[in-house]
Amino acid sequence: MRYLKKLVRNPILLFFSLFQPIIFLVLFTQLLSKFSSFIVLPGGTYLEFATAGILLQNAFGSALQSGNSIVADLDSGYLQKMLVTPVRRPAILLGRLTSDAFRVVIQSAIILGLAYALGAFVNTGVIGILLIFFIIAFFGLAWSGISLAIGMRTRSSETVFAIGGFLTFPLLFLSTALFPLSFMPKWVQDISMFNPISYAVNGIRVLMTTGYDWSTILQAFGVIALVAAVTLGATLYMFRKVVS
Amino acid sequence: MSDIITVDNLVEVYSDGTKAVNDISFSVKEGEFFGFLGPNGAGKSTTIKILTTLLRKTSGTVTIAGYNLEKQSADIRRIIGVQSQETTVDGDLTGRENITLQGHFHQMNGDEIKKRVNELLSLVGLESAAEKRARNYSGGMKKRLDLATALVHKPKILFLDEPTTGLDPQSRAAIWTYLEKINKEEDITIFLTTQYLEEADKLCKRLSIIDAGKIVASGSPIELKREIGADSIRISLENCQRDNSKAKELINSLTDVNEIIDSEEYLTVYAKNAGLLIADIVRALDSSDIRIASVTFSSPSLDDVFMKHTGRRIRTEELVKAPSAMFGGRR
Repeated sequence: MRYLKKLVRNPILLFFSLFQPIIFLVLFTQLLSKFSSFIVLPGGTYLEFATAGILLQNAFGSALQSGNSIVADLDSGYLQKMLVTPVRRPAILLGRLTSDAFRVVIQSAIILGLAYALGAFVNTGVIGILLIFFIIAFFGLAWSGISLAIGMRTRSSETVFAIGGFLTFPLLFLSTALFPLSFMPKWVQDISMFNPISYAVNGIRVLMTTGYDWSTILQAFGVIALVAAVTLGATLYMFRKVVS
Repeated sequence: MSDIITVDNLVEVYSDGTKAVNDISFSVKEGEFFGFLGPNGAGKSTTIKILTTLLRKTSGTVTIAGYNLEKQSADIRRIIGVQSQETTVDGDLTGRENITLQGHFHQMNGDEIKKRVNELLSLVGLESAAEKRARNYSGGMKKRLDLATALVHKPKILFLDEPTTGLDPQSRAAIWTYLEKINKEEDITIFLTTQYLEEADKLCKRLSIIDAGKIVASGSPIELKREIGADSIRISLENCQRDNSKAKELINSLTDVNEIIDSEEYLTVYAKNAGLLIADIVRALDSSDIRIASVTFSSPSLDDVFMKHTGRRIRTEELVKAPSAMFGGRR
């Protein structure tokens, strides 16, 4: 609740954290709009193809702020203030994570709206959009786990951003988020096969373009669940250490 | 009145081997205003962290309001209020929202919270600023808001870790007034730590002086000062390194001197009727060609109590040494 309120109180932050993905969306899709004329994309236009990637990129950036805020709470002593109340321990983390998920869904809705204005449709309709939100929220949670764990371990927001930034771009570009598999050199293809981002992106992409391709969608969920288990496990472990 | 906090043989050893709290025992009575007085790093905050379930103790027994610290920590959290050394209010929220949120942390219901928030806003004098964001509050206002959030669930015991550190004298005096009011009107037991002598002297009905993880003296401020049993004369010499020991010898030979403590920069002489002794001391030193830089006379303070038990003054390091080192470096 507290984090949600903070979010509403900081519309500027919400706005600016959207800036980068929006610029990406417009720049990439316009710059590479001819892309589909010499390569066959799983969607129709490059815009439809790239929107999924941009959505995930946004989730990345959003998750990074999560670790940052726990550092702030550790520093200010607010975490301790919560710890001396009867609030159940896991609820503190859960509150943090739900507000992250909530934020990322709002941002995604804005991005999807913009993509629609530029000419990209979600072919599976309302249920498809809900499923997309679900994938993104879930993915955002898994990634929040990483930044929360780093935040609690290092207690430094600079480190959270450094490590987060260091992870974001290679992972994004070494995946199928912005370019199709067939476009990549062999070694990048190999890496992207093991990149969890690829699976999440593919899940969103089929929902936007081809339809209910359940094997891809379930794969997306499976991979995200695996990542989430690892990162949230690490978060929980670090949280226990911080709390005791 | 019965004891609401009992601590027996409490020890806290940090993982690097530091003994932050070294075998302390004390008790606090219900409704009492109790304090820990000591310099930075004495173990005050560590003790508060243990008592408020934030830090696990190494050994010892602690009972709070009849609850065992380890087995019933959840029960303890329900009846204590804590204000930590850092001011922890959320700057993005208004004063009212900050207190309301804390009420939710304590799982109070909505109507109850609303009523209580109004009570508290008037208790700490923040009604007119209630709808402003806490970010724009002054340091003293933030402290008062923090205090109000700690009181939202009507705790039986309020723990205050250096509640006025870093405040200007005026805000400090205001906080003191509120604390005395809370102690009386809300009938709350208060456990306070401080490094300010005046604060302990003014507020605490009973206190323990703590230094380097150990309690060196306990009692009411009056009892502790009476224990000194004497006024003190503080003498600093123009050339202390050369003359200190000789001066000490001379003064010791005078009648009625209880004790002399040599703290390198000055000598502190304790005596029953110190006023009468000043002339004798000056005469004795003068006849031996020891030049005096200054003489101050005072009735016993808690600082003298601290001095007597530890050989140091509470704030010597901060106030005296730091500036002189600075000047030395610049010359």
